[in-house]
Amino acid sequence: MARPLLESGHRVVVMPMAVARWGEIRRQTADPGLLLTFLGTAAALGLFVLYPAFRVLVYPSLRDYLAIPESLRWIQAARNSLMMMVLSTISATVVGLVFAFATTRPDLPGRRMFRGLAMLPLFAPPFMVAFAYILMFGRQGLITRSLLGLQANIFGWHGLWLVQTIAFFPLAMLIIAGVLDAVNPSLEHAARNLGADEWTVLRSISLALARPGIAGAMLVVAISVLADFGNAVIIAGGFPLLATEAWFRMEGMGDLKGAALVVAMLLIPTVALFFLERYWVSRRVYTVVTGRGSRIERPSTPPVLKWGAVAICSLVSLLVLLVYFGVIAGAFTAVWGRDWSLTLEHWRLAADRIASLWSSVKIGALAGVITGTVSVVVAFLTSRHLPFRGVLDFLAVLPGALPGVFVGVGYVLAFNATPIGGTVWVLAAALAFWHLPMGYQAASARLKQIERSIEEAAVNLGATGLQVLRDVYLPLLVRALVEAFAVSFIRAVTNVSIVIFLIAPGQVVATFVILNMIQNNIWGAGAALTTMLLLLTFASIGVTWIAVGRTVRSPGMG
Amino acid sequence: MNRAHVSVQGITKRFGPTVAVDGVSLDVEEGSFTTLLGPSGCGKTTLLRMVAGFHHPDQGDIFLRGIRVTDIPAHRRNTAMVFQEYALFPHMTVGENVGYGLRLRRVSADEATRRVGQVMELVGLAGQQRKFPHHLSGGQQQRVALARALVVEPEVLLLDEPLSNLDAKLRIRVRSEIRQLQQQLGKTTLYVTHDQEEALAISDRIAVMNRGRILQLGTPLQIYHHPVNRFVADFVGLANFLEGEVSAPGQVRMEGVSLTVPDGALPGRRVTVVLRPEAIRLHARPPEGVANVLRGYVTAASFLGTLARYWVDAAGRHWIVDVPSPGEALMTGEVFLEIPRDRIHLLTET
Ligand SMILES: Nc1ncnc2c1ncn2[C@@H]1O[C@H](COP(=O)(O)OP(=O)(O)O)[C@@H](O)[C@H]1O
Ligand SMILES: [Mg+2]
Repeated sequence: MARPLLESGHRVVVMPMAVARWGEIRRQTADPGLLLTFLGTAAALGLFVLYPAFRVLVYPSLRDYLAIPESLRWIQAARNSLMMMVLSTISATVVGLVFAFATTRPDLPGRRMFRGLAMLPLFAPPFMVAFAYILMFGRQGLITRSLLGLQANIFGWHGLWLVQTIAFFPLAMLIIAGVLDAVNPSLEHAARNLGADEWTVLRSISLALARPGIAGAMLVVAISVLADFGNAVIIAGGFPLLATEAWFRMEGMGDLKGAALVVAMLLIPTVALFFLERYWVSRRVYTVVTGRGSRIERPSTPPVLKWGAVAICSLVSLLVLLVYFGVIAGAFTAVWGRDWSLTLEHWRLAADRIASLWSSVKIGALAGVITGTVSVVVAFLTSRHLPFRGVLDFLAVLPGALPGVFVGVGYVLAFNATPIGGTVWVLAAALAFWHLPMGYQAASARLKQIERSIEEAAVNLGATGLQVLRDVYLPLLVRALVEAFAVSFIRAVTNVSIVIFLIAPGQVVATFVILNMIQNNIWGAGAALTTMLLLLTFASIGVTWIAVGRTVRSPGMG
Repeated sequence: MNRAHVSVQGITKRFGPTVAVDGVSLDVEEGSFTTLLGPSGCGKTTLLRMVAGFHHPDQGDIFLRGIRVTDIPAHRRNTAMVFQEYALFPHMTVGENVGYGLRLRRVSADEATRRVGQVMELVGLAGQQRKFPHHLSGGQQQRVALARALVVEPEVLLLDEPLSNLDAKLRIRVRSEIRQLQQQLGKTTLYVTHDQEEALAISDRIAVMNRGRILQLGTPLQIYHHPVNRFVADFVGLANFLEGEVSAPGQVRMEGVSLTVPDGALPGRRVTVVLRPEAIRLHARPPEGVANVLRGYVTAASFLGTLARYWVDAAGRHWIVDVPSPGEALMTGEVFLEIPRDRIHLLTET
């Protein structure tokens, strides 16, 4: 009955890796649906991510590239962009660090409020800080002129510096707070126990451990500053910057080649910073975070530190509130700077352009659907043991390294001459794929929490790759899908950097209208339309929140 | 070709430098309950998953009823698996979970409802279809996983340490339920565990594995009483090992003692004597008229309810002796070990 015992196998012939790999491919092709999805997705990413970028880079000739150093204006713009990057990155990171520190201290008065207020700039359209500060601190500024009687000029690099600090410190705060939150308080207690005073603990433990977080925050802020178009175009005035220069080239002079050159110049630092962040800093942050945070309360903060932080946070929070206050007040004020009486006149004017808001919603919804779907599908595919999945992953995160103006110029070059050129589809696709990294990374993270065996159970019962996607992953990823849709939608309806390049005649969107109004000093209507955009944003957040709460019916999932 | 229901022939699976399964062959007869037993990391799961089709063997073949299935993808093999962590779909009700395999097989809704109801009754969860998995206890989730695997009427039922997430008492109850169900349905079953007691309790046959290989295949009694080597003897149950040399037929001499053993080994061979703790008898006074008696001292004793376990020093060694149904008091001080000849198992390799 029993087979011989100790039946060990034949010795193995070493199989070359390539053969093993082909075997894997052959087995995967046994599931044609999955393979087709993979190929289709790869093709879509190639067409909508890689191809436009490629078009930008090859559009100017080598001679054009070599001539860059001879153009004084471009060198000037590059130098200015780098200068703003350094200034704004440092100031935004310092403010972000103070906020992160303050909001992770349990004994700091108003810490929740500070964190909440600091999030506000993240929801504002990307030109709103600049717009509000012109209203507050400009020549007709409520504070500078009406209250203080100053003759201030906010246009130029110093105005931009203030604006970018306020616009981007929330990013730094979120990243650094994430790291500080993860520092186990027991480490601090241990240091104290060994005789360190509060200052030493702060310096040698908390800040030391947060260092990779600070580095990561600086890189992310630096990319945002370099790519910042919305604020710069409004407030930089005659101060040339790479991001705005691309637009002036194209709009003012129809110089597509010049625009391509400028955005290509902009790409070098952003890509470098991006990969530094992704493949170096974020990994180091991760190793710090691994310690399990036990719930020991942090001890009380030294008073000097505490009240210093409260003072800074209060001042900055006030500046944040002014962003919202300025725009909303502007929408109801008869003539800003001269006649402070209340009026609804601007809303009538804004209502005339309400069609542009509907276009925004339509394009935003389109972009949201594309981002959501592609995010989930790519996250699913990169979780498979498919060959070349690393390529897919790379293409899905790459747009995070591309400045909006680069994407804008890229889509012009790639699609204007095609049948879909000039349609809303091009704009929607550009916005959708630009926002892909956020949706993709969220979906990927969610996917990783789902135990692999859940999928195997489905396969074991007979499900093909696509049936697994449909029956297991889609339902479990609904939340990620909705969130990806919402983020993409909100960012699409408030976008300016891509929109200005791809706006189609007859499909004018709200941000484009607002930008024109601001530049033509039609502040009241611009403010009214911006307020509508804000309402739309917060309404979408609310709806998403409710929708996500409803769809997640299984708290049992990890 | 053999008539085994599941036949694994010479399969090897490597993960990078690790050889997880190393040239294993195994036949599982129709309707039998076969257990893969071995320490953690010995390749049990990998072997089971190759039968399910989740891994493709680097070498060797797998047959179901004599048909080669090595290259058939997992979703087209009818080998239902119960996962260690149950792997219930968190977004589906219990009924939807159990019915999922039927849905994929395009069984009509009425028929599916009927069969789901049947199998739920079988696992003792009648009428719980509308609950979600997270509403159920661990033991109930385990049964849902079992029901989900059984409802598709698989060729083979595969279970990977299905009881490891249950507490000790429940584990014993559920394992006998699984066994009863298996016998009732006559379902060919391949079961993985690292718990030797569990394996002995429920299997028709056990394959003891170590480092990717099957060391011994046999019934629980064979494995326990006639282990083929020291590893198996040590892994399955407790054992006293004594090394010595066969001095004459039926005699093994070792340092300080000589034991009368069953015939078999040739004089001059080095052998290992394997003695189960409960095979040794313990006496307070020297027993009369028996061979193999050693004088010793109790160094420690432990009362385990159904038995008492003694650590005894005798003949210059430490011995473990189990005495069943201990009375009111444990033995201390001087004792005498009696080693019945027919309870001795000899290993000729060391
Ligand atoms: N997917 C995998 N990738 C790499 N190594 C693996 C993988 N699965 C198992 N192994 C390795 O193969 C060996 C056998 O693992 P496994 O079959 O899970 O053992 P068991 O189930 O007996 O505990 C272990 O050394 C394990 O680390
Ligand atoms: Mg295992």
